[in-house]
Amino acid sequence: MSTASAPLSRDSRLSRFVNIGIPYVWLGIFFLLPLLIVLRISIAEPALAQPPYTALWEWIDQGVLQIHINLQNFILVWEDSIYLDAFLNSLWVALVCTLLCLLLGYPMAYALATSPERWRVPLLMLIILPFWTSFLIRVYAWIGILKPQGLLNHALMGIGLIDEPLAILHTQIAVYIGVVYSYLPFMILPLYANLTRLDPTLLEAAADLGCRPLRAFWRVTLPLSSAGIVAGSMLVFIPVVGEFVIPDLLGGPETLMVGKLLWGEFFGNKDWPLASALAVVLLALLVVPFVLMQRIEQRIEEGSR
Amino acid sequence: MNAAAERRLLEPWQDPKAAPFVRIERLTKQFGDLYAVDDLSLDIFQGEFFSLLGSSGCGKSTLLRMLAGLEYPTSGRLYIDGVDVTEVPPYARPVNMMFQSYALFPHMTVEQNVEFGLRQERMPRAERAERVSEMLELLRIAPLRKRKPDQLSGGQRQRVALARSLAKHPKLLLLDEPLGALDKRLRENTQFELVNLQERLGITFVTVTHDQEEAMTMSTRIAIMDAGQIMQVDTPTAIYEFPSCRFVAEFIGSVNLFEGKVVESSGDEVLVESRIGRSMRVRAFHPYALGTPVTVAVRPEKVRLCLDYREDGVNQLRGVVEDIAYLGDVSIYRIRIDAALPRVQMTLTNIQPRTEQALTWDQEVAIEWSPNSAMALSE
Repeated sequence: MSTASAPLSRDSRLSRFVNIGIPYVWLGIFFLLPLLIVLRISIAEPALAQPPYTALWEWIDQGVLQIHINLQNFILVWEDSIYLDAFLNSLWVALVCTLLCLLLGYPMAYALATSPERWRVPLLMLIILPFWTSFLIRVYAWIGILKPQGLLNHALMGIGLIDEPLAILHTQIAVYIGVVYSYLPFMILPLYANLTRLDPTLLEAAADLGCRPLRAFWRVTLPLSSAGIVAGSMLVFIPVVGEFVIPDLLGGPETLMVGKLLWGEFFGNKDWPLASALAVVLLALLVVPFVLMQRIEQRIEEGSR
Repeated sequence: MNAAAERRLLEPWQDPKAAPFVRIERLTKQFGDLYAVDDLSLDIFQGEFFSLLGSSGCGKSTLLRMLAGLEYPTSGRLYIDGVDVTEVPPYARPVNMMFQSYALFPHMTVEQNVEFGLRQERMPRAERAERVSEMLELLRIAPLRKRKPDQLSGGQRQRVALARSLAKHPKLLLLDEPLGALDKRLRENTQFELVNLQERLGITFVTVTHDQEEAMTMSTRIAIMDAGQIMQVDTPTAIYEFPSCRFVAEFIGSVNLFEGKVVESSGDEVLVESRIGRSMRVRAFHPYALGTPVTVAVRPEKVRLCLDYREDGVNQLRGVVEDIAYLGDVSIYRIRIDAALPRVQMTLTNIQPRTEQALTWDQEVAIEWSPNSAMALSE
């Protein structure tokens, strides 16, 4: 092939550059730039100004540049236990909800993937349909269900299971319920996509080699769906850590989550630098384990070769 | 050992007292309105290399899957080694299968794949390791033991699949198109290897294939299947030389067919008056009533040039060479007897270099065959 070894023409080099360049430009403008702005605000001091923080640098005298770096926000985040508690609780809520979503979502995804072909689309629609209603309205509706005089308590008292209303609304339980309800489809969809690709002859081979169905599930289906489990868990875990709406609407005073604090600092206290510092720490908390996990996964894969 | 006893040992199906290893009794499998396997009975004996041969959709794969327990029959019984396994689930059968797609577990190494079945029967670790090594050595894939299936070539995967299905020392090994995914060269080598392996291990093999050459090369016996039923079960030689019906004759190899009716029947020979007006004297397995419509079947390689053609000659035809296919070792001549009739095929070995051959296009030739190399078949 003479064309392949010939140097690329200017046109094709240009088109290659454009092709590869566009996603980078996109990421640069809409991800890296805002991130840098947040980073820059996080090392400023709050000020009564527009915007409400101090400048990064200023000229004093002739030719002397003064750069202001204020690490006070990060120190505060570290020293004031309320922030640390909020981080830990956010991670805890996200962890619990991810596990609950996995426990609920896996059987549902499995049932979907193994259902007869003509049932799949309608069943899938049932999972996706709630998205057609606003997220806010759906979470709001849970207040009506969970409140002391709500549907759930009425129903439970009606069948005589309890004598007085359960206090669920404005507790962490309500947050769990709301989060699992809202994020379950994000767990189901990647798992479903993964499980439908599973070759059914592998299970036949397992059975042929003396493996009972339940064991075949543990030894074949589950390991082969690990990519779907990881993808679904990421899609639930990461946004839940920073979730604001659900803890705000369903949670109580004791449900401390980073999202709520961030909101408060930004809009209540107008302390943009502190809010930015919280956002930066949150990002670091999420990125570091993610990168570590990918490293480990890569090493496992290399090790097995 | 006398000759008869030896024959019984090598060909257990000849021995009326031999107990079959696999007994398939009036097995039927229905998918909706379709009879994939239709009231089929068959005996397979210990140590056989048995092939189910047929075109796609003839039910051969369904039959194999029922032997494995991956499908349950609609009716009929199935016995393996004297035990009724009709309702036994696949994981409890003394049977292993090599899948057409190989179905290797992609998340396990070669070693783990081979070990899988042994783990299920809770074999002790040391013994397990020994068995795995033995299998890997047997199939010459020991250097690949730490690889994953996606790092193997097609031929290597085939070996791993074979090692995995043999690891448990099954009484019966089922092979679904075992060589189907290999290229031609590799397929030919592997055919002989499979036969050697089978003879060495003494395991009964049942294989499904649509490739007649493959079935002919490897099998002790072949069952030709069509529409869920068995048309003929016999040794490769018998299937080729003595097909029981027109379907089998046409399915295996090429054949020239002449329709006609019986005008004389004596012992194991019949005289047939063919529709083209020539009389043909051929073998018959049983006497026919006069006037019975039959088909005379002659294999192309049994046809030869005729040097003493006579107008009333038996088993003689005259025509014009219409096509010549030169295949190197042999040439196939298509001879037109009558414009309305299918061309008659004749295969001649190219003893002389091609350029010196006598036959050429549009040449008039006379051909013939001997009575015992052709046969009369009923529909």
